[in-house]
Amino acid sequence: MTDDELDQRVRASILSEELDTSRVAAAVRSQIQTQRRHVRGWAVAAAALIAMVLAAGFSYRTFRREQTPQLCVAAAQDHEREIVNGEPRQWLSDLTAIQSLGAKQGVPASAIAALGTTGYSLERGRLCFLKKQIYLHLVYVKDGTEYSVFLRPLTNEAPFGHSVREVSVGAEDSAYFQTTRLTAVFVAGHSHAAAAFARAGARVLQGLPS
Amino acid sequence: MPHLAALLRVARRLTPEPASAEDLVQETMLLAWRGFRGFQTGTNARAWLFRIMFNVFHGQARRELRVPDLPSRGVRPMLQEAAEIAEALGALSLEQRTVLLLCVVEGFTCREAAGILDLPMGTVMSRLSRARQELRESLAPMAKEAYR
Repeated sequence: MTDDELDQRVRASILSEELDTSRVAAAVRSQIQTQRRHVRGWAVAAAALIAMVLAAGFSYRTFRREQTPQLCVAAAQDHEREIVNGEPRQWLSDLTAIQSLGAKQGVPASAIAALGTTGYSLERGRLCFLKKQIYLHLVYVKDGTEYSVFLRPLTNEAPFGHSVREVSVGAEDSAYFQTTRLTAVFVAGHSHAAAAFARAGARVLQGLPS
Repeated sequence: MPHLAALLRVARRLTPEPASAEDLVQETMLLAWRGFRGFQTGTNARAWLFRIMFNVFHGQARRELRVPDLPSRGVRPMLQEAAEIAEALGALSLEQRTVLLLCVVEGFTCREAAGILDLPMGTVMSRLSRARQELRESLAPMAKEAYR
């Protein structure tokens, strides 16, 4: 028997067998459908999770943009009008009078005094409105540069943390933080100058008894 | 579902039970579906499927620490001729039977079979040659019997 004859016999014999593939085909189709449903379920869950994370991130950013930077923008604009452009305002220059004015608004006299121990000298103060809220606006001087410090007792506004955060608003440098009692915003015309004063201020204000 | 019959035909001669053969083919098709991105368009889909099946088969055999080397009890040929061939085929070693099924029954070239089984082509050729020789020897007495 030659190879070809042998191959032909084997091939003919095996290929003549009846094969029922329907059961395997049905099982494969069923498994594929199950896995597709499974994958679809996971895809929906993953998409929902991503959407939730994006929504949370967007809400947080919106919240941050609404709460803190807008306050800094208002403070920087106030600093530019009243300090840089020198628009006429009535200021108090006596420390006791300023402390008394601040105390009426809930800013402790000790806070104003403490800021004076940081190497910055208090020059004048007055009340002003930032974002429809009353702030004690203090002007400090160091090396010929004027710094605005805006203080307000902590009420029911959304907290933005005890660490000093720095933002640039136009030409002004702004930094802000909160203590257990106060919200403080610092503004200066030089880059990082407000942040340097804010860090020194944070150290002394956070050390005050609450 | 393309090539299902060919896969099942070979699987039934690799595994001891028809149910195992169906499981093997089912797993092969599912792996092919999951890994379809790995298939290169324009290449031999049939060879690709067989390669998957033999990978699954050898993986199972390794896990179970045995290779079914016995004649398949799952094949029930209807004719005397087919019964004799099935018996002779079952007497071959698994390696020889595999090469013979791929090259002789399924029509793969030795090069394609070598690719499917991940073997050198020389090994495939020598296994095929030995398989034919043993099959010829097994079938010879039966042929004599038939002509007596």
